[in-house]
Amino acid sequence: MNRLDAEGELTRLRDAIDRVDEVIVKLLNQRAKYAIEIGEIKGVLDLPIYVPEREKQVLLHAEASNTGPLDESAVRRLFERIIDESRRVERLSASAKESV
Amino acid sequence: MVIVMEKHTAEANVEHVMSELIARGFDVHRSTGSDQTILGVVGDITTIDPREFELFEGVQEAVRVSEPYKLSSRTWRREKTIVNARGVEIGGDKVVVMAGPCTIESEHQLFETAKRVARSGARVLRGGAYKPRSSPYAFQGMGVEGLKLLRAAGDEFNMAVVSEVMEISQIEKMLEYVDILQVGARNMQNFNLLTALGQVRRPILLKRGMSATIQEWLLASEYIMSGGNYDIILCERGIRTFETATRNTFDISAIPVIDKLSHLPIVGDPSHATGRRDKVMPLARAIVAAGGDGLLIEVHHDPEKALCDGPQSLYPDQFARLMDELRIIVPAVGRAL
Repeated sequence: MNRLDAEGELTRLRDAIDRVDEVIVKLLNQRAKYAIEIGEIKGVLDLPIYVPEREKQVLLHAEASNTGPLDESAVRRLFERIIDESRRVERLSASAKESV
Repeated sequence: MVIVMEKHTAEANVEHVMSELIARGFDVHRSTGSDQTILGVVGDITTIDPREFELFEGVQEAVRVSEPYKLSSRTWRREKTIVNARGVEIGGDKVVVMAGPCTIESEHQLFETAKRVARSGARVLRGGAYKPRSSPYAFQGMGVEGLKLLRAAGDEFNMAVVSEVMEISQIEKMLEYVDILQVGARNMQNFNLLTALGQVRRPILLKRGMSATIQEWLLASEYIMSGGNYDIILCERGIRTFETATRNTFDISAIPVIDKLSHLPIVGDPSHATGRRDKVMPLARAIVAAGGDGLLIEVHHDPEKALCDGPQSLYPDQFARLMDELRIIVPAVGRAL
């Protein structure tokens, strides 16, 4: 690969990452919508926002779906952050439902 | 706040801490490492004491990363507070000099001293009516009669007046006569008094306790502010150290530190810090040069005959000379006198 080709390839891959990020954000928001609905239900049923057992299941499920090249601990770290944010939106929607 | 869990602690311990935090309405960012888990706690953590979480099973350390004080912090209010005491602005462009005797002893003493300091450019008259002394046998002050004299002298020479409040029962009477209520170093952590002062609407000059950290001092101001009284002037007056050459060691660095951490104005009291007349003038110059918003200086028309703190009181002529020196220093730090 000559220098010019390499530079063109770098641009192409960076564009590809941008396209993937757009899909990731869309999917994360789809996931957040479910979390918001769950929060509303938890508010109605007066259930706790933090359920360690369920969070463990979510992590295991994500790890099990992993086919690499990310290793399992990397997937776990990424999903911990996703769960943190889901817990937050659940809490907000649960307390909004509570006060209605 | 960041909570660091012990290495290889049981998952149940992590869950217990997380449950407690989430139940209290905080968001938790969990980060599981290969052998240690760290929890980032997000929310208004000024209400919790990190030490409480160090008692939880499996917690190695809980560290606060934001200040425990809120209303007095720069984060809460970016622009500097300007306290207005009977038309005198403290914390604005002008450096304000408050001067007068340690204790009001007589009409003659107070008026004589007030006349001299006013002529030299002091804009606030100080004078103690209730004097907390290290010895119970020392002169304890003139009380309400002293306050009446202070008000009369302030009006006569067109100065606002400041005097120390010792206890809650004195507040009501003092409001009749005094423009700024001073809380002394010994009372800085008298939380009942601070809470009561939060209810009044009159500027408070809060001295730093002689062994108080800057954080404790700002937390003391928080007691007053949480009651709704936001007009607070902080006053550095020296802290206890191992040095015996001066009575206290004046913490000059407190001035820029407070300026960074808080929006409240800060003044310095070089008289109590050193306890010696010959040290008062150099220290006063340093306070202004370091960015202090004002000075609190003891002046007595006849210090040899003073009933209280004579050795640290300036002669009126010395005070006049100091004011002349300050007129040279003040423009160099972008202020006026």
